[in-house]
Amino acid sequence: MTRTVSSDGAVPHIAGAVALSDRHLLGIEGMSPVEIRALIDRSLVFAENPHDGVSAALKGKTIINLFYENSTRTRVSFELAAKRLGGSVLNISVAGSSVKKGETLLDTATTLNAMRPDILVVRHNCAGAALLLSKHVDAAVINAGDGRHEHPTQALLDAVTIRRHKGRIEGLKIAICGDIANSRVARSNIHLLGTLGAEVRLVCPITLLPADIDHLGVEVVTDFEAGIKGCDIVMMLRLQTERMAGTETPSQREYFNLFGLDSAKLMRAAPNALVMHPGPMNRGVEIDSATADDVEKSLIRTQVEMGVAARMACLEAIATRAQ
Amino acid sequence: MTQTCFFNAHIIDPSQKLDGIGYVTVASGKISAIGTGTPPKTQMAEHGVDCKKSTLCPGLVDMRVQSADPGAEHLETLPTMLAAAAQGGITALACLPNTRPIMDEASAIDSLCMKASRIGGTRLYAYGAATSALKGDAMAEIGLMANAGAVGFTNGTSTVSDSLIMRRLLSYCSMLDKPVIQHCEDPALSKDGEMNEGETSTRLGLIGIPSESEVIIIDRDLHLVRRTAARYHVAHLSTRAGVDAVRQAKAEGLPVTADTAPPYFLLNEIAISTYDTAFKLSPPLRSEDDRQAVIEGLADGTIDAIASDHMPVDRDAKMQPFGPAQPGASGLDTLLALSLTLVHQGHLPMSRLIEALSLAPASILDLIGGTLSVDSPADFIIFRPESSWIIKGANFVSASRITPFESYPVQGIVDATYVGGNPIFQRH
Repeated sequence: MTRTVSSDGAVPHIAGAVALSDRHLLGIEGMSPVEIRALIDRSLVFAENPHDGVSAALKGKTIINLFYENSTRTRVSFELAAKRLGGSVLNISVAGSSVKKGETLLDTATTLNAMRPDILVVRHNCAGAALLLSKHVDAAVINAGDGRHEHPTQALLDAVTIRRHKGRIEGLKIAICGDIANSRVARSNIHLLGTLGAEVRLVCPITLLPADIDHLGVEVVTDFEAGIKGCDIVMMLRLQTERMAGTETPSQREYFNLFGLDSAKLMRAAPNALVMHPGPMNRGVEIDSATADDVEKSLIRTQVEMGVAARMACLEAIATRAQ
Repeated sequence: MTQTCFFNAHIIDPSQKLDGIGYVTVASGKISAIGTGTPPKTQMAEHGVDCKKSTLCPGLVDMRVQSADPGAEHLETLPTMLAAAAQGGITALACLPNTRPIMDEASAIDSLCMKASRIGGTRLYAYGAATSALKGDAMAEIGLMANAGAVGFTNGTSTVSDSLIMRRLLSYCSMLDKPVIQHCEDPALSKDGEMNEGETSTRLGLIGIPSESEVIIIDRDLHLVRRTAARYHVAHLSTRAGVDAVRQAKAEGLPVTADTAPPYFLLNEIAISTYDTAFKLSPPLRSEDDRQAVIEGLADGTIDAIASDHMPVDRDAKMQPFGPAQPGASGLDTLLALSLTLVHQGHLPMSRLIEALSLAPASILDLIGGTLSVDSPADFIIFRPESSWIIKGANFVSASRITPFESYPVQGIVDATYVGGNPIFQRH
């Protein structure tokens, strides 16, 4: 298997699946820029040829989607990605499963493990859950989001989206805005975009800023308009009300007023700035509908499309390594 | 009168400022003579034990132990707990009231102490619950529990957070001359917290417990101590700000004491980086700066005592993601060896360490032990401070085998533990 690594901006020439150093995909932190670029390049190949049978890496393999949190796009995206690579997919959602009978995470995992799946895709509300599973199962584990920790495939699909529209990541000014404290998407993106040389700025109310986050090599701005000033990408995050204690901000009305994105505020960003959001959106809370649905500026639907491609690249890389 | 003379021992007794090769003679369960050099011929008459220059010092007094018995005997029963203590060189220990039933009335205290005395070995003492059912909203029957032998009052693993209740508690306990032991953690500030707040919690996506949650409670309590003149003890001190607050209070002359436990002077929050739940403790492992401050506090006497903070935890309660996993770890088997690290690393002289492990906690709680002075009960240990071993939870005498020090190399092996002149543990 050969791996071609293109520098940012170059047209990717990929001969095959990406080789990863780890058996599992648990987080972006610690991945090398070479690995990340290779995954992005390979994702772009899949994005250009979604139905062309570029790879049948998952033929004869079983993938289990084990989701402890509700999800539409991530679960469907993984399912579709696996099917396009020829894999068989099983979806297990916790509602209506033995988990509701009190089974622990590890018991569920070892039960599923006994059925010999090749890849376990796991989403869980606790940070570290995917890592814990990876220590107790034979299958390769892909983290589809663990608590507030990481959501590596989301960061990859965001990077693929940015590459597709801006041609590069290095040197771009990218604002990540909103509920940083409760966001795994923010953490994965901080690691990924920083590793690839983007200038990352966090823009949010100070009460939604986790401790010492500036140690991760990002700039922090608490004034929204100053924060997105001159940025090439404005990435909005969902206000994670289900993870909030309710005391972080005074009200949704005030939040939208001070930290929500609308077309007037977007004028402060760079002239060709593009807007992203990992979804699902709270319209009128962190972003107004006009901006979210602006076909010129919003990449939100492209992100979903790239999600399938990015997950194909990840699944293929994991499956190829597991052989 | 039968007497036994332990000679050629390295005697360390901080209560008499003894530190050198010498002898201890025991008769009728008490120390009958002690001195440096070779014992007089009369002392050797009956029975002599050559200690071969091993260290002989007062037995350890562990002032913070969670007994799983009564209520959670599947985790640990009194016999294994006391056997682990004996092998660990602990001659007396004080149990937290967080049992089922809760130690919030005299009969519960009585029952636990009776049960332990039937088993024998390490002396067991009990704290009484400071508030009824540990709920924090009303004083428990403190006077009756004190009469039944409760050595102090505490809400155990939770904080007495209501300022009025705390004021009343301190006043009432000052009347009875009993100490109030506080786990200092502001419950609102640490709500849902999973680990110490800082860069590591941010990286791991775990909810942070700010270090201020400790000193806020200490500061409030110190104001109340000034008003009530009650004896106040800060349990498992873990932050620099907390150490500073206790240091200032002592300088002011307030009747304040404090202890800490080995994880807080040997480990820091970075240990959690792989979400290993053995490192989930309460209070949480703190920053490196906090760890250094705890060592400084032990060295200058701000922190009086070292306790094991022994806490039996179900393995299933640890086989979880970090957030929902239960805090706590085993400590009896490793208290002496882990604490000796402070001596081997040059932070504390041996005599100061022994004081922190025996004399200081015994004085704080008015317990038997902590001294080798003539006529005191012969509670002492003989150990080899240089002998090394590797900590393995699976080899613990305690039935509670979860330790944050798995595979940690230590030095210090107990060869014998005596309570009232009787050997309760002897290594063969």
